[in-house]
Amino acid sequence: MAMPDHAAIELTGLTKTYRRGRDLLTAVDDVTLSVPPGQVIGLLGPNGAGKTTTIKMICGLILPTAGTIKLNGYDVARQRADAVRQIGAVLEGSRNVYWPLTAWQNLMYFGRLKGLRGQEIRPRAERLLADLGLWERRHETVGSFSRGMQQKVAIAAALITDPPILLLDEPTIGLDVAAARTVKDWITRLAADEGKTVLLTTHQLGIAQELAGRVAVIRDGTIIADLPTPDLLSRYAEDRFQVRVAGTLNGFTGVLPAGARIEADGRSTVVTLRDADQHRLHSFLDQLRAGNVPLISVSQAQPSLEEVFLRLIQGDGGDGRSAPAAANTERVA
Amino acid sequence: MTAITIPRPGASEFALRAFANEAGKGLRLMWRRRAITITAVLLNGFMYLMIQFFIGGGHLVLPVLALTLPALFAYVSAATAALQGSGGITEEVNGGTLEQSHLSPARPVLLIAGRLAALAVEGLVPAAVLALAFGLGYRPHWVIRPDALVPLALIVADALGYGLLMTALTLRVASIGAVVHVFNMAVMFFGGMFIPITLFPHGVEIVARFVPTALGVEALNTTLAGRGLSAAWSDGSLPWLLVHVAGLAALAWGTYLYTLRRARREGGLSPR
Repeated sequence: MAMPDHAAIELTGLTKTYRRGRDLLTAVDDVTLSVPPGQVIGLLGPNGAGKTTTIKMICGLILPTAGTIKLNGYDVARQRADAVRQIGAVLEGSRNVYWPLTAWQNLMYFGRLKGLRGQEIRPRAERLLADLGLWERRHETVGSFSRGMQQKVAIAAALITDPPILLLDEPTIGLDVAAARTVKDWITRLAADEGKTVLLTTHQLGIAQELAGRVAVIRDGTIIADLPTPDLLSRYAEDRFQVRVAGTLNGFTGVLPAGARIEADGRSTVVTLRDADQHRLHSFLDQLRAGNVPLISVSQAQPSLEEVFLRLIQGDGGDGRSAPAAANTERVA
Repeated sequence: MTAITIPRPGASEFALRAFANEAGKGLRLMWRRRAITITAVLLNGFMYLMIQFFIGGGHLVLPVLALTLPALFAYVSAATAALQGSGGITEEVNGGTLEQSHLSPARPVLLIAGRLAALAVEGLVPAAVLALAFGLGYRPHWVIRPDALVPLALIVADALGYGLLMTALTLRVASIGAVVHVFNMAVMFFGGMFIPITLFPHGVEIVARFVPTALGVEALNTTLAGRGLSAAWSDGSLPWLLVHVAGLAALAWGTYLYTLRRARREGGLSPR
């Protein structure tokens, strides 16, 4: 299949400034982002970083102060009707659907709202409700559902028109483990099997690491990192090594490098060296050999997305070292 | 993957379906809160009856009832449109469904028109129930002719204009509940529900005519008295009613567009 010549989501110089009394508050500052079709991108950031504002601007629910937004080539400001046809959205902190109505009534309403006819909506609604395990309860009001089921209805409503782009703002917030797992599996399936473009925000970084092939980190309205997830993780793995030795280090007379973390389980001990270059690593290994400490393995440690995220938003490498913004901000071709 | 290919209906067909979809949703939500509607009907009817007894010194004065019953109809239509319109928007803002409904390719005018259609039904049903109950119960001396439908329709239009204005202000005013309550009280007292407008002191009568539905009640009373639309036209109530309906509709629509745009500029479609 020929790939379209435009990005699924294209943000150029997107800026949003709010007036708060006599002050101006910049919620989103000159964000430029291009998401190709079929990609799952995690937009991560602390509270108030500008994630939700960005998503709502993409939806056309908040007007940008500057910049352009294109969805599958349609300009949200100039071709709003065509642009909103491209998206389904589950917005953060919202019910998203009408609780006094039944699941079925909600799907029919949202399908018609997007321009579908009843006969087009019914088979899609049947499939979605069946797949999400809600078919038996389709004629019950959403208000009587558990939080997880309500969120499933919200996701079904966002998918009722089978949009190519999904905007999911904290889709697993407030869900229990099982419900979060279902939602996560669905996102995986939508991206992998149906080729949907997904823009996802979440504070559950394990989920982002699992789902997103690319991560953009936003802080104070500015994108400070934008890389494929493995690249982002490996970037911070370069200076971290794990040395596993047999037994304990009780009799070790050498000097542990500064910042080293030691974890012992009785049979072996793992020493994690942070900010270690090759010279420091070799020096430490030499000390182990001199002390006759039996070496099991040496490996490059892979940090979790959570660790990387914290280092990024703290503006340093975790030890006070500045993270060069230019190096972190790489555009994905 | 390519851009979505939702079939593009003709503009008028899509407009009609978007309107019907929104109206249908409003009616379903109304049905869910029917207990509140029934309670409101009973309370309004009881309050009206008690005040009529109070005015009549313990008796029901039928000529007064004949002149004030149209105002009860108008008040219930207008107050319901304002309360449910404003309350509905507040609930949708808090619940996030207002944002979802604006993810539609349909123009906002269609969505609000559908919402108003549902509000019209929600207001008309209790208003008609009360008017019929008192009308059939006490049989006031009315001359019922088709020309009464003209001021009746204009009363409903005026009530919806008022409801739209309150709905529009909801997007902007934080304590809209209190505002709606105060305005509804004004419609109740100055709309002629207790004392016919023509019995007000002259200055108050002039001010009262600016209150939504007041002119409509005056014109309707003229036609129900058997003097016809021409009398309502010549006494000025009907032409001024037309001006009032058009003016209020324009004000309400302009306010709605303004507050909606401002809400989209400031993120006001969701709780702030």
